[in-house]
Amino acid sequence: MQTMKQSKDPFEVAFEEQEESPPESPIAADENETQTPAAAAASGQGDDVGTSVPPSLPSTTTGAAISIGAAGPIVKSKEEDEEEDEENMEIELGKFPPSGDPDKMAKMQTILSQFTDEQMNRYESFRRSGFQKANMKRLLTSITGSSKISVPMTIVVSGIAKMFVGELVETARIVMTERKERGPIRPCHIREAFRRLKLEGKVPRRSVPRLFR
Amino acid sequence: MNNPSAGPSSKTKVGSSQSSETSFKRKRGVFQKDLQHMMYGFGDDPNPLPETVALVEDIVVEYVTDMVHKAQDIASKRGKLLTEDFLFLIRKDLPKLNRCTELLSMNEELKQARKAFEVDEEKLASTE
Repeated sequence: MQTMKQSKDPFEVAFEEQEESPPESPIAADENETQTPAAAAASGQGDDVGTSVPPSLPSTTTGAAISIGAAGPIVKSKEEDEEEDEENMEIELGKFPPSGDPDKMAKMQTILSQFTDEQMNRYESFRRSGFQKANMKRLLTSITGSSKISVPMTIVVSGIAKMFVGELVETARIVMTERKERGPIRPCHIREAFRRLKLEGKVPRRSVPRLFR
Repeated sequence: MNNPSAGPSSKTKVGSSQSSETSFKRKRGVFQKDLQHMMYGFGDDPNPLPETVALVEDIVVEYVTDMVHKAQDIASKRGKLLTEDFLFLIRKDLPKLNRCTELLSMNEELKQARKAFEVDEEKLASTE
């Protein structure tokens, strides 16, 4: 396991977290073996820098602000979700990544304990930020034209959209480092990032070209 | 570069011409507050530039729109638009797919927990 350096750029921190934290462990311990090589393969996927770091949704309607998702899973099997959801319920406010794997939790704890204030701030924003359900629902309703958008659908689209924002911002940061620029991200970086994502095929292409833009 | 729209009319920013696709007028900055926190979380400045946020919002809305249209194409054979259609769309993108399945099962878990909570409450109420 790598030790976290205090002076790390939070962006790199997120990237490192993705690499070193193994995927969520399922019920059986042996699945860890199969997943870690898969994780190594997944983190080497193309230009997917940091896209494996899953975002989280803000608090649910129970008001308990239960955190959703962990910071590091890269490849997961579906059966394991049941186990770690139990853990999720006990852990509150998204400070700790929920995980059924005590080993992974311990790793996460060591990382989190060494965060600077700024890193912690950013991580908190990362976990807690999300699209408002109402706004997303309204958007989906207007796009589909149908009145009933189920809650799970809103959840899925919000999750996908958040990860897409992550891809955009992280790619934009890469563009900035290539251009040796600093400071806040500017629209030109986002546009270049968007262009690159399109080339990678991560943006749904329209089969009918859009006219009158 | 960016032309702020006046009032409720559709925005005319780069990458957005929603008026030909949707029949509603999109207000600007619907996701602005959420996006600011999100972008900071993903690596931007603590205060992202407003024009950057606006552009990201446009791009995200376009992304969601195109995705929904694609999902509708897939679903049209079956009839109704279902959550599974979205999952099918992102099947190649493993991080997104895993994240979505995780979110969905969490949602289920919470629903069960809430149900169980209500049942307990009823029991308590009835015994008193």
